[in-house]
Amino acid sequence: MIEQDVVCPFCGCLCDDLEIETDGARIVRVKNGCSLAEATFMNDTRLPAPIRRTEAGWEEISYDEAISETAEILREADRPLLYGWSSTHGETQSIGVHIAELIGAVIDNTSTVCHGPSILAIQEVGHPGCTLGQVKNRADVIIYWGCNPVEAHPRHMSRYTTFATGFFVPEAQRERTVIVVDTRRTDTTNIADEFVQIEHGGDYAVLSALRAIVRGKAHVIPASVAGVAKEQLVRIAEICKNAKFGAIFFGLGLTMSRGKYKNVRNAIELTDELSRHTKFVISPLRGHGNVYGSNEVFTWMTGYPFAVDFARGIAFYNPGETTAVDILRRGECDAALIVASDPGANFPRAAAAHLAKIPTVVIDPHVNATTALSRIHIPCTAAGIDAAGTAYRMDGIPIRLKKVIDRGYPDDAEILRKIYDRLDGGMGP
Amino acid sequence: MRVILESKVRKKPSLPIEAEAIIPRNFLKGTDLVVFEGNKERTLSELFWIFVEGTAVSPENIEVVLKGDTSRIKRVGEYMDTGTILIEGDIGMHCGNFMSGGTIEIRGSADAWLGREMRGGTIVCRGNAGHYCATGYRGEKKGMQGGTVEVFGNAGDFCAEYLAGGTVHIHGHTGDFPGVEMRGGELLIEGDATRPCGNMKNGSCVILGTVHDLLPTFEKSGTHLLPERNLEMDVYTGDVANRGKGTMMVASRALRR
Repeated sequence: MIEQDVVCPFCGCLCDDLEIETDGARIVRVKNGCSLAEATFMNDTRLPAPIRRTEAGWEEISYDEAISETAEILREADRPLLYGWSSTHGETQSIGVHIAELIGAVIDNTSTVCHGPSILAIQEVGHPGCTLGQVKNRADVIIYWGCNPVEAHPRHMSRYTTFATGFFVPEAQRERTVIVVDTRRTDTTNIADEFVQIEHGGDYAVLSALRAIVRGKAHVIPASVAGVAKEQLVRIAEICKNAKFGAIFFGLGLTMSRGKYKNVRNAIELTDELSRHTKFVISPLRGHGNVYGSNEVFTWMTGYPFAVDFARGIAFYNPGETTAVDILRRGECDAALIVASDPGANFPRAAAAHLAKIPTVVIDPHVNATTALSRIHIPCTAAGIDAAGTAYRMDGIPIRLKKVIDRGYPDDAEILRKIYDRLDGGMGP
Repeated sequence: MRVILESKVRKKPSLPIEAEAIIPRNFLKGTDLVVFEGNKERTLSELFWIFVEGTAVSPENIEVVLKGDTSRIKRVGEYMDTGTILIEGDIGMHCGNFMSGGTIEIRGSADAWLGREMRGGTIVCRGNAGHYCATGYRGEKKGMQGGTVEVFGNAGDFCAEYLAGGTVHIHGHTGDFPGVEMRGGELLIEGDATRPCGNMKNGSCVILGTVHDLLPTFEKSGTHLLPERNLEMDVYTGDVANRGKGTMMVASRALRR
């Protein structure tokens, strides 16, 4: 059977034009997808049942047993942490928030290690953004700053920017100017019209210099800023000012390098400055398929997009204090529930080490590095493969993920609803 | 009146305690106060040995002394308006949040957000201060607006972010971005600083040590002699990435771009 218009749940692009051929509960072919999409659908290896760590190794347990024990761990905890959420659908995320509120937990999503700084910057100065459709149809200047879409978002350029034919830019490759800012050469810099190579940690200074040049203060700027010649900065400022419509996309090279949210704030203020001359927008290149959705769901329900602390019954938010990495590094939390993410693979060592010290439960379709740190792993459906649900694209557009096959696993929303019921002793959310 | 709170040994010492109830004024009515340990509500006596010496008829005559392991206790002195708090060791985050009067002395080091959105009063920290010393809450356009924060050790990153009023005096070094987004007030750093005063709009910052990575958007406007220290200072105006009406003075010998 061939399913049309399937949404790939892997990255924030949520490409919705895939063609998936299935044979019963098996996916046999993926068409239109990038290599990441193909691996997502084809290499879907899962645990057959929940497992629990014992003195002698791992043992298989029933779903009922796993759910009861998880509820018990969370009930006993004085500072539980619920983390992850970005690779599953919004329905699961909302139940996670309900559980956090019920037990006085801290709930955080993967923004904390990716675009959390972007959110902090947006909270300071706003977000002059737009949908990817606008960029595709209008943008004649594209800036990729601190990101490598050719490898991390392989279809971003072909669907929305460099190679995409737009309504007002019919000959995309000829009409669009692509500027790439990075600390080293990548596959993306190879197709840039202008490559700006900056020194590590020099983003803030370069952005400040560009803002000053656009404001007419070029005389203040020294001959070189963070390894970039003043002539190149002046040339880029001119390209941007003369654009009909410009779009800046940025990645972790900006958000997770020295200065973090101040870098993003500076980029937003450059966008603001350029919009005094022409139309400019800026957007983060989001990583996990539904990380934007986790920010949306958390914000609707708590008022805050990530790092929400319910310890006192009300939502409190203060990244640096209530973020998962910081709570783990300080050894604060005494139990953790990890859903649809892999902090064991990408958290700092001290934070990951604390996960191994406390009772940690993982609810994830796949075995990952966090499994090795956990006490219980409960396998479930994978959103967009064998579970339907809502996800948000990197530009804030909600897209319905399809269920392509049925592999007989319970939905993570169903597992969490049962945990909620065990904790509450009544009806779930 | 002197109220001595000596922390008890806890089963889970890493759990944070939120103790905004610990301000001198609250002890006028007794010591029956509530704090939070993790997600559990506790009485003050569950976590501290409490000793009260003498009496007081007004809060300005009350001194609260914190002893023992107090490094995980947050929000001590929040909304404090009078009286004195003496912390003999280290103190947790948010000490002196929104403080408008009185004095807090910390003999050890303070964690992040010391004197956050302070309006008045004095905080003296004998050790080091963490990140975001004398700043504002996330997204807040004005940080500290009045009072004095003096740190005898070093301060972390983003010290005096959004400073809008009052005086911040760091005797040691600061981390990255001291005085970033400054709107007013005075910041004095006796040690070194990295990328000071980014996006500064107003106010004044004096740095006596070495400046690392001076931002390219500060315009040198002259020199100035600090008579009390007999130091010649380079005077910069900025940040010209925005309106650029702030003043940054850097000891002439110490600049490294």
